[in-house]
Amino acid sequence: MNTSAKKSYQAGDPRQIVRWARRYAQSRTISFLVQWVFIMVMVMCIGIAASLTQMAHQQGRTATFTLSVISMIVAALTLVWFSVSRWSGELVFSITNWLYGREGYVSYSGSCPEKPLPIWLTGLGGGLLAYHLLGALLISFNYVSIRYMQPWSAAYMTPYLILMVVYQRLGFWAWLWPVLYGLHAVALLLNLPVRFGYELELLNIVAPIFGYGLIAILTGHLYSRYALWKLKALTRGNIPEYDDMASPDGENGEDGGDAMHG
Amino acid sequence: MDDLDRTIHEPARLRILTLLSGVDEADFNFLLNMVGLTKGNLSSHMDKLEKAGYVTIVKSFNGRIPHTDFSITAEGREALEKYWEELDSIRAMRDTRE
Repeated sequence: MNTSAKKSYQAGDPRQIVRWARRYAQSRTISFLVQWVFIMVMVMCIGIAASLTQMAHQQGRTATFTLSVISMIVAALTLVWFSVSRWSGELVFSITNWLYGREGYVSYSGSCPEKPLPIWLTGLGGGLLAYHLLGALLISFNYVSIRYMQPWSAAYMTPYLILMVVYQRLGFWAWLWPVLYGLHAVALLLNLPVRFGYELELLNIVAPIFGYGLIAILTGHLYSRYALWKLKALTRGNIPEYDDMASPDGENGEDGGDAMHG
Repeated sequence: MDDLDRTIHEPARLRILTLLSGVDEADFNFLLNMVGLTKGNLSSHMDKLEKAGYVTIVKSFNGRIPHTDFSITAEGREALEKYWEELDSIRAMRDTRE
């Protein structure tokens, strides 16, 4: 692990480049935004299909009911497939690279492939779905009021996401999501005016999940613009062209050579 | 000054190595954008850093587009730390004289 990123240096010290390179790499959130858009679209599809299913059931339209149930299942399976497939990972990577364009590719995971997530944390990820299904069942059978739907979710999501942020060494922006989601739960429990009315009850969980996610992603992206500007200024400005360093071997960096790729 | 690593002391290579020491890996376009060299110059500097054992170069294809990723090696990281320490001591000596 590099130590230069942890030490503090005075303004103008070239070793600040290390810290800003890491900050820039950590806050490139476009890949999260691409995933966010896809998941949002799929959740909307599931939501629309679920509404159609309910309407068709109430009106006794068997064909529409069957079609909407199939649509809902297909959308849900697509969402699961997208979350785990290699193809979707490559697609997100390609779109991200295209969107970043001339900035190029840079990564800082901190975790690295040789140091994977601990098995218990991966297990907690699997438990996330089971926990929410349990919550849905408890609400359906009136063991828990629907008013506590989001706080129930936050009781698991907030610590889980914080652990993920810590273990994956994501930037500060990634803390916003679990922290805001947790604070929203507290606000709901305190009956602060952040609740959607009865007819829009589902928005009390959907809006915080996607809304705070988007806030975190956009904050990260904006910060990456600043970090990029800062990094470029430091890289080009803080390492002088031999003003107080003697040229080591007469090189001036203009010795040409073939490009590694065109 | 004689103790300074000649490979790292060249400003463009110092910029590249310092940048790479802050991240896991970076590609050719990122370094090109940051360091402000021509493609040929950057390629030449990366070859020298690779020959010194300071960086690892991984060439691949994204479809038909060639893609080159760079990462600093443990040896490169150690050499860079040592370089900064030596430069700090040279500066400290200079400040004492002044």
